Amino acid sequence: MNTQDNLDPIVLALVQNRLDHISRQMGWVMTRTARSPIFSQSHDFSCFISDPDGTLVSQADGIPIHTGGGGFAVRALLRDFAGDIDDGDVFILNDPYTAGGNHLPDWVIARPVFVVDQLVAFACNRAHQADIGGGAAGTYNSEAKEIFHEGIRLPVMKLAAKGETRQDIWRLLMINTRTAEALDGDLRAMIGSTKIGADRIAGLVEELGIELYRDYFEGILEHADRSFRRCVSDMADGDYLGEEAIDNDCFEPVDDAIRVRLGVQGDALAVDFTGTAPQVRGFKNSSVANTWSAVYMALASYFDPDLPRNEGTFRCVTITAPEGTIINAKPPAAMTMNTVFVAHEIVHAIWKALNKAVPERSCAGWAKAVHGTTSGRLGEESPFVMYHWNSAPGGGAVDGRDGFNQIGHLIALGGLVLPNVETYEQLYPVLFKRQEFRTDAAGPGAYRGGTGCDFEVEVKVAADYAFRGEGLYNPSCFGAAGGDAGMVGEMELSHSSGERENPPKYAVRHYDALTLRAASPGGGGWGQPKQRDPARVLRDVRDGVVSIEAAESVYGVILDGDGRSVDEDATAILRAG
Amino acid sequence: MVTAPTATAQPIPPWRIGVDVGGTFTDMVLRDQTGGLWVFKAPSVPSDPSQGVMAVLQRAAKSLDMALSDLLGNCALFFHGSTVATNTILEKKGATVGLLTTTGFRDSLEVRRGIRENMWDHRAPFPDVIVPRYLRQPVGGRLDKDGDELEALDLGDVDKAMTLFADEGVEAIAVALLNSYGNPKHEDAVAEHMAGHLADHPADSSWVSLSSRIAPIMGEYERTSTAVINAYIAPKVVGYLRNLDSHLRDNGLARPILLLQSNGGAVSVEQVAERPVNLVLSGPAAGVGALGLYSRCAGSDNLIAMEIGGTSCDVTLMGEGEVSVTDELMIDGYHLATPSVDIHTVGAGGGTIAHADDAGLLHVGPQGAGATPGPACYGLGGEQPTVTDAYMVLGRLRPGPYAGGSVTLDDNLARRAIEEKIAKPLGIAVEEAAAGIIRLLEQNLLHAVEHISIQRGHNPQRFTLVAAGGAGPMHGATVARALGCRQAYVPRQAGAFCALGMLHTDIRQDYLAVHFDNLDTVAEEALQMGFAPLEERAGAALAAEGFNGDAAVVHRELDLRYRGQLWSIRVQLPSGAFDPMAVREAFDADHQRQYGHTQPGGTIEITALRVTARGLIETSDPSVTASAYKAPDPTAVRPVYMDSNHGWQDTPIYAGADLQPGFAEDGPMLVEELTTTVFVGPRDRLIVDNSDNFMIEIDGAGD
Repeated sequence: MNTQDNLDPIVLALVQNRLDHISRQMGWVMTRTARSPIFSQSHDFSCFISDPDGTLVSQADGIPIHTGGGGFAVRALLRDFAGDIDDGDVFILNDPYTAGGNHLPDWVIARPVFVVDQLVAFACNRAHQADIGGGAAGTYNSEAKEIFHEGIRLPVMKLAAKGETRQDIWRLLMINTRTAEALDGDLRAMIGSTKIGADRIAGLVEELGIELYRDYFEGILEHADRSFRRCVSDMADGDYLGEEAIDNDCFEPVDDAIRVRLGVQGDALAVDFTGTAPQVRGFKNSSVANTWSAVYMALASYFDPDLPRNEGTFRCVTITAPEGTIINAKPPAAMTMNTVFVAHEIVHAIWKALNKAVPERSCAGWAKAVHGTTSGRLGEESPFVMYHWNSAPGGGAVDGRDGFNQIGHLIALGGLVLPNVETYEQLYPVLFKRQEFRTDAAGPGAYRGGTGCDFEVEVKVAADYAFRGEGLYNPSCFGAAGGDAGMVGEMELSHSSGERENPPKYAVRHYDALTLRAASPGGGGWGQPKQRDPARVLRDVRDGVVSIEAAESVYGVILDGDGRSVDEDATAILRAG
Repeated sequence: MVTAPTATAQPIPPWRIGVDVGGTFTDMVLRDQTGGLWVFKAPSVPSDPSQGVMAVLQRAAKSLDMALSDLLGNCALFFHGSTVATNTILEKKGATVGLLTTTGFRDSLEVRRGIRENMWDHRAPFPDVIVPRYLRQPVGGRLDKDGDELEALDLGDVDKAMTLFADEGVEAIAVALLNSYGNPKHEDAVAEHMAGHLADHPADSSWVSLSSRIAPIMGEYERTSTAVINAYIAPKVVGYLRNLDSHLRDNGLARPILLLQSNGGAVSVEQVAERPVNLVLSGPAAGVGALGLYSRCAGSDNLIAMEIGGTSCDVTLMGEGEVSVTDELMIDGYHLATPSVDIHTVGAGGGTIAHADDAGLLHVGPQGAGATPGPACYGLGGEQPTVTDAYMVLGRLRPGPYAGGSVTLDDNLARRAIEEKIAKPLGIAVEEAAAGIIRLLEQNLLHAVEHISIQRGHNPQRFTLVAAGGAGPMHGATVARALGCRQAYVPRQAGAFCALGMLHTDIRQDYLAVHFDNLDTVAEEALQMGFAPLEERAGAALAAEGFNGDAAVVHRELDLRYRGQLWSIRVQLPSGAFDPMAVREAFDADHQRQYGHTQPGGTIEITALRVTARGLIETSDPSVTASAYKAPDPTAVRPVYMDSNHGWQDTPIYAGADLQPGFAEDGPMLVEELTTTVFVGPRDRLIVDNSDNFMIEIDGAGD
């Protein structure tokens, strides 16, 4: 069917713009009204609009790893509350097993939108809460083995019925968090944002007419469908394989992998994870919603940045995710970490397969983060949770661009604002010693990976440490088109006793004051290192991020004696050899 | 080019002159003692903007039949808005900069806190770093968060860096040491030590930029970036401004020229020489003065200005008479922490390009056709249909000479471009396509206005929309209606909005000191000690500009937040004894408006002390009394497309000069002014008010 034929193309464009504007507007309200900085600092939320059947029609604002995943939540709501959805209701949920959640810390608020007694849409957001109980402050319990260790589970529930907030439910939520004030404020921000969104959506539907608006929503989905099918049909028919190793289960080493087969046939794409490792003991297991989002994010980020990111875009994609694997775990597997790891691994596996299908768009891997959190108390009161974001790793290169030297998670495509050292020294009992690019850590390539950084901070008080160092000790990225992986990440703790230790990748520990040193891993390079523009190699050497030895041995570039220019002749001879 | 009907043939001295250098034209407005206005235009000369300034002055002198020395000699205040700072950055033509940073922390400038403007566009690189790593040199020594010394400064490192900088041809130096916002002593010591090395250089404030002087905010990335950009542009910008100033004074100007700063206030060349980075928003910030003027004309303190030019629309909001000034500005991807008017800019203007994507959806913007090739109807080789082409197809612009004869509009070219690129691919008629382009553009404008108002907690329905810029008056009424505003205000000099605004600009300087304290327990003496040095600088600056007594106004402000928040709100302190309860009430009220909630009894932290210094410029506005008035005849009647409900209508066209205070007619109509065309729809009513500007009453027809 092609609805578009009956539609006014001008109105269709206006509706697309308006829906995207409304979902962005919900985002402004969220950031302006939230209490905890997590919404605005790391923008760890998304706002979306679905049609009355739970199909996402707009998600203009949001963290990439939420792409297209909200529909699972709305469809769970429709399943549980069919026939019992009223104007003024507000639904809440988080459970990844029963309620279409992605992981427990991300709570969804969904508000049905009514026009003349007819359900026409849902205005929703999904946002990471500051604390939801569970085994560790700040939602990440690195030692969780079951979902029960990770915080409160919420099935689909009515948080408000016909405009009346259910105080019993509200009290239940507030006693299940360590930071009730933040949760109270953030939930109000989410609810307020969906109210504004719902009013705007209702206005739009009234303007379009109750008989016609669904055709326009469908027109938008069909436009997105056509847009992405063009990308798929540009790939040659065939199967493309990708695999990303998993070297730990959060407790001990394992040797396993995420395996994906991309099957391209015409303008249809099959994404098949058959052969992927079984679910693991630790909290890296993925839910259906998170895995689907990771797949969508990997695909959308590979092609045009302007692709719509509603569910229409992915109509031509079918996903096979065997149950009981790390990308579709069975209860009661723990899964809070999944939006970062194993999502990062899923994106890597798919990018590796796409690199075979569309080499000219190939992407090198982004190194995985090594940072965890330090939490404790300032004086008598004020609990604090400090993320060591300043030790961010290096990103991967693409044709025409080096990797970002120090950048947020791949699953947010860098959508994280790193803190200023000065701000952190005001907020937390710490003194920073160093935060500088590494030398010879970037994955070599015609475009090199990000350098990663050398990071050192003194923590002046006794505190709890939740380690989540997926990027430590083993390579965590890959090169593309002839480029290589970057250097591995390292971490070392220096205790006041003079004793030193390398912490495990995942653990929860308590220590007295100490100094934490990290070398975050370098990102993957793109293209043959010996084809890197010698001027860029010269600049890297002068900048101290590539040594003069590596310039010669890795890049085949020889500098003049003063190190300020390229010895063109010697370089040509070396590169020819 | 005399435009104001209130003006007599010759201006009565003394007068004020405002010159705004834009990308295409240099605009000049002269306002004489009686309030009469004269507007002149000359082409800009991007390679040497002062040539454009001199050209427009020559043109004005000639047109007014006086010598340049008389024009300048009778000028009491000369305001200048210049893109020279902005263009130095955009064209990457600044100095070679060396940066001194604390050992271990030299990369924050390049890491940019990892901020990705559009995260989905991950293939796009960051903008080139202004100072390469090999010119970012470490200096030993460390201050803690309170500004206390943990490790002594190592001046030997400064010597090493200076040797390297000399070898590398460094032309300007920025110094940004960790925690120096709290204590400048290490940066001051570095500067003092460097003075010895700088014997070869003439004593020149453009040589060294200290972060603690330029932007003493907490946050090493933004502070460093600001100091670096300052160093990058200083040699060129300060040199240009000093030359222009002395040239004008040689030609008879008595008082030093005043420059428009990003904060919407003016300043003299010598005072801004240390901080030219404050000029980055020089042109658009003059909109603040214009809003001040029009708020008096329109009788409203709540205005939203939508200034639409060829490629972009700047939206600025005045709430209760104040335009908010923030410390955040981004220019070409570079972050600056300088006091800047809060302006939201979107890619929507007369030259904005429309296109249908491969999957059959229409988009308008954000790309524009620029001055060349420009819209298809210019006949300069542009093939992409633009908003201006849509105006042509809909009869809103007429074919022939345009913009003072600088181009000739061809409606066949406009029609062809829209037909080929939009109408055919979408399977619709060419008029439908053109009307669709306008609708999408107006939707983008609406969204931009909602962005700046709703996001900051204002209800746009309480505002009067001011439609300015060459293209603004074409859309003012439609956007105002969509917002739910009752009125759209259209300045007669819509196309010279900023140049006119300059003439109504106060002198302004902002001072800041980071200061952590608890609002309820802070000792008044501690605040006094913190404010005193800021006020001393403020008073001295105003006195140096010639402002004393009642004309010199100094305000104190506090940056406040609830404990645990990352962002602060600025609250002005009333004069008199410090009253923490009154401050709490003011903070709570603003927090409620901006964020929708308060924390009753919550701990409120002070994070910074601010002082704003204003030198008040006299602002008596002329007004005429409407007399018994017979409406003039339209110059023509032609079919013009209104909207999807009203279709094509025979529409009277008026010459702007014919319409005088007292004029009031129902739409539809078009008013052709020298710098703009005003569109009035069939439901609206146009009034020329007592200040000789246009007021469109939304749905006012038939009243």
